[in-house]
Amino acid sequence: MSAKLAGQQVSIAYGEQRIVENLDLIVPQRRFTALVGPNGSGKSTILRALAGLMAPTKGTILLDGRSIDILSTKEMAKRVGVLLQGPVAPEGLTVRDLVKQGRYPHRSLFGRWSAEHEAACEDAMMLTGTTTLADTPLERLSGGQRQRAWIAMTLAQQGEVLLLDEPTTYLDLAHQIELMNLITKLVRDHGKTVIAVLHDLNQAARYAEHIVMLKGGKITAAGRPEHVISEAAIADVFGVHSVIIRDPVAGTPLCVPL
Amino acid sequence: MRLTTLLVVLLLGLVAASLALGDISLSWRDLLETLSGSPDATPQNAMIVFDLRLPRLLLALLVGAALATAGTIMLAVMRNPLAEPGVLGINSGAAAAVMAVIVLMPRPPVVLLPIAGFVGAVVMAAAVYLLAWRNGTSSLRIILIGIGLGALASAITTFLSAFGEIGDVQRAMIWLAGSVYEADMVKVRLLFFWLILPMAFAWISSRELDVIRFGDNSARSLGQPVDLVRGLMIVLCTLISGAAVAAAGLIGFVGLVAPHIASRLVGPSHARIFPVAALSGAILVMASDLLGRLALAPVQLPAGIVTALIGAPFFAYLLWGRQHARG
Repeated sequence: MSAKLAGQQVSIAYGEQRIVENLDLIVPQRRFTALVGPNGSGKSTILRALAGLMAPTKGTILLDGRSIDILSTKEMAKRVGVLLQGPVAPEGLTVRDLVKQGRYPHRSLFGRWSAEHEAACEDAMMLTGTTTLADTPLERLSGGQRQRAWIAMTLAQQGEVLLLDEPTTYLDLAHQIELMNLITKLVRDHGKTVIAVLHDLNQAARYAEHIVMLKGGKITAAGRPEHVISEAAIADVFGVHSVIIRDPVAGTPLCVPL
Repeated sequence: MRLTTLLVVLLLGLVAASLALGDISLSWRDLLETLSGSPDATPQNAMIVFDLRLPRLLLALLVGAALATAGTIMLAVMRNPLAEPGVLGINSGAAAAVMAVIVLMPRPPVVLLPIAGFVGAVVMAAAVYLLAWRNGTSSLRIILIGIGLGALASAITTFLSAFGEIGDVQRAMIWLAGSVYEADMVKVRLLFFWLILPMAFAWISSRELDVIRFGDNSARSLGQPVDLVRGLMIVLCTLISGAAVAAAGLIGFVGLVAPHIASRLVGPSHARIFPVAALSGAILVMASDLLGRLALAPVQLPAGIVTALIGAPFFAYLLWGRQHARG
């Protein structure tokens, strides 16, 4: 299991406020990695740093073993797609218009729209089940559909890595499951490496293959769900007493608070 | 496409009306004869059409298109529905500079005024951008600093006008009111050649504006060097609207209204917004100038006053319609 993305001795600060210090992180290739932890544990900040949207004050982020500092914003965007929380689109923008923006890093200033771009967009919409919504403006979609449209945009970038910040927030249960299945499909059938910040521990345990648990900007545990999710770890990180049972359906650990 | 045709027809209608109507109105036949250079045309009509009305019309067209283009850039880059070139302090900077030259200099040459206006606009925009720079810029910081510096420049203008000679101050106020009254072909040509490159470049960069509008983080994650693009766009906007202000003074509301009209008409793609916004802006300023010439003739209202008179209610209507569409 080799590392697709990694952080080496990474420190991140907003001005004087230090969020993360000396973090070593490994994101395994072609796996679904979940970042979990309480509010303020630095999950989203770490995700931004991995995406190259925020420069660490110290340390390096490695993509395939090489520092991302040598990559231009465009090169980075060709390899890593990012979806942050609450993205906004102008009124009237259709799903197709949005997905097309994902081709931005592959086009030069005068680069024409080609069959290759079109195919990438069609694939992205097919994968996310948004093909039939292509000509619908985003503001007329449901939360789940809109989220899939944004993911389609990042897929049109055709990077090997996908970073998602709390992708299931504001989605109802059915749409959450749909999204998790989409991520599983992307990893299993399309060889993507996906990293998502998740709030729901049980969801992370059930769908992710690798969990990184954070507290106060430090990693307290990382590895397969059954190794990371324990009663002691939940008590330590979240301050919640719980019992861990086996999920009767998936066989993954299931955390039941006391 | 149909829409663009409609706007072009409207524009041509305005061109014809502006050439024909005025203190001395020409019949359509006179106008046609004059324009086609037929031997029946009188030299008097030729002078009215070619020397007086045509340059004025062309200047209005250019200024309107320029303000609309600059407004479209600002709307995308600042991601704020109220952003217009004035946010960069372009208007207040030009006003302060012109007021200073007229009030402080004994008998300033007339050529100096547009130069002073342009320099004032550029200096202000540069100051706003540099003060907003802190390891990169943010749209909100630019807007806030623009408002602050703009207020400061307006205070300077007011201070100068309070202590200046009354005649001087009045001259400055007239210049600032925004009109295409003092148009000639030299001015028109100069403005045309000044605008053509930055406006073409803005249109070519449509795709960059489509992306930067998503916000800094989204744009960057799509691979856009956001600070570079924003800097370049602000330079373009300053070159375009600074020149428009230098040529015609302060013509308000066009930079704000035209981009909104265009995006309502053709949707969110900038490659389509730009031409429609430029046409709308040109139509707006030309119509305002025509109205200003005819409404209280022989008194001529400066176009800048008329655009505000038309623009403000129209803008309110736009916002009202939008709220209801959402609710």
